[in-house]
Amino acid sequence: MDRALKRRLEARFGDRLLGPIRQRHDETEIRVAPGDVPEVMRALHDEPEFRFEALMDLCGVDTGSVMQTVYHLWSETTPDWLRVVADGLSRDDPRVPSVTFLWKGAEWQEREAYDMFGIAFEGNRDLRRIYMPPDYTSFPLRKDFFLPDDAARSPGGGVRHIEQAHAPSNATVDAQVRKAPTS
Amino acid sequence: MSADLTTARHASSDDPRVMLEEAVGVFAPIPPYPPRTEREAEFYTLGDGEMFINMGPQHPSTHGVLRVVLKIEGERVVDLDPVLGYLHRGVEKLCENADYHHTIAYTDPLEYVSALFNEWAPVMAFEKLMDVEVPRRAEYIRVLSGELNRIASHALFMGWMALDLGGLTPILWSFIERDEIVDMLASLTGQRMLFNYFRIGGVNGDLNHEFMSRLGAWMSKATSQIEANQALLNENEIFVRRMRGLGTLDREAAFRLCMTGPNIRASGVPLDMRRAHPYSVYPDLEFDIPTRQEGDCLARYLVRLDEVKQSIRIIDQCLHDMPDGPIMAKLPRLMRPRPGRAYAAVEGPRGQYATYAISDGTDQPFRMRIHDPSFVHLQAVGLLTSGNLIADTMAIMASLDPIMGGVDK
Repeated sequence: MDRALKRRLEARFGDRLLGPIRQRHDETEIRVAPGDVPEVMRALHDEPEFRFEALMDLCGVDTGSVMQTVYHLWSETTPDWLRVVADGLSRDDPRVPSVTFLWKGAEWQEREAYDMFGIAFEGNRDLRRIYMPPDYTSFPLRKDFFLPDDAARSPGGGVRHIEQAHAPSNATVDAQVRKAPTS
Repeated sequence: MSADLTTARHASSDDPRVMLEEAVGVFAPIPPYPPRTEREAEFYTLGDGEMFINMGPQHPSTHGVLRVVLKIEGERVVDLDPVLGYLHRGVEKLCENADYHHTIAYTDPLEYVSALFNEWAPVMAFEKLMDVEVPRRAEYIRVLSGELNRIASHALFMGWMALDLGGLTPILWSFIERDEIVDMLASLTGQRMLFNYFRIGGVNGDLNHEFMSRLGAWMSKATSQIEANQALLNENEIFVRRMRGLGTLDREAAFRLCMTGPNIRASGVPLDMRRAHPYSVYPDLEFDIPTRQEGDCLARYLVRLDEVKQSIRIIDQCLHDMPDGPIMAKLPRLMRPRPGRAYAAVEGPRGQYATYAISDGTDQPFRMRIHDPSFVHLQAVGLLTSGNLIADTMAIMASLDPIMGGVDK
């Protein structure tokens, strides 16, 4: 745990942060509103006290009640991973600004998050499905997408691609949906 | 080619409500639907003298099942658009529906030439979630088998690279080298390729006599054998001239493209997770991080060769320092980690393999993200290729060393 990093983050971003900074093992986690992502990322990337040059991972998360996008950053100024969580995206219409203006390599990772969760990254020039077929309509990693018993059978064997009658615009949170604990 | 409105419309095989101009599944280079994004519209608009051509999905140099739509002008590649998903198995979703031990069997076949690293990252993330202390002997065994797997993977890379450039001999030699290591690992783990060897809290089995005798025999000749194999290519003028200055990537571009592993080290960045973010027993081991400044295909190739020598050095130290003791931590059979999140990354032969795991207190991961370096590296192909010849596309792709099993997850 890098206490100094925590102090620097608190001093720099202050009330931008949603909730306290969490630290465990070698990870530091901050939460920001989706609209603040470009500014926070630019500050973390450019400012000499942070210099988070490398985006190590970008992924989407469906907590069952809200959507998140999660960024893992690496810098030589700290021994910790920095996890930036853009929290509180609506499940009906998840939108977050893209970070491709800093890391072009985020383009495909954002496409993957779009393909799997339906998260729209505003500013990504190439936001189309990447794994699933182009006429596929549902988002498989969302928590209201349930796997049937024959999920492991391949489409090549005459089994159709699994679809759920669901589009993000008419999504309703089912009582059955597995939800993350509120932490 | 403009869509003719009078043509028959086909029901989509996936969704009968969607009608398509042409049946999907025919590998037409131009998609049978209007462009969905700015970039797609730009790509599928032909300029003067340009044409589309499909490479794949069964092209031998795509290292798996990848289709690349090339936009060419004569013999020059103007732009390209990789089409993924032919191997997509939905591993992340399957892992959410399996318990913590089962996920290792699902992540194993992702990058099938370096399967141990696919096990290592999730196992490390789960250990973090559960605050498990791994016994030191288990950590040494992990490093030892991991470095062997790295050498096997780099040996194959060397052969493939030459094969994609049209040289048939090196792949035969590199398969000999790889088979020795793979057989060695088979005597340790019971499997040749998909080991399923690492466990949460340790490894599945202790070092045995057969493995140690094979390893000893191999170590005595490893360095000289590898150098002899490398001389086959390193001193081949056709190979070197072909590779030098091709697909150059500088330091800033490598960071912007989120590259890791040998591909970024070939651009002069000493970013190696074993040193940049130490894990396991790597802080106790001595080794260098080979880097090159040129950032071209030759540099990416040479960095991997230097890495093999460092791996042999690490294996040597592991054998000398291997402590006695248990190989598994004491853990319950059914694991229910407290709610929380953990991120763990290991340095694989291709770059950073990482897992982001979220636990909700049940015996199944709530979310398990698998980050694969091949996926990130493959998108650089488009950037490095434009302006080069079609044959260079394969050379550049081979030098980035993507494995489609990992790209498509």
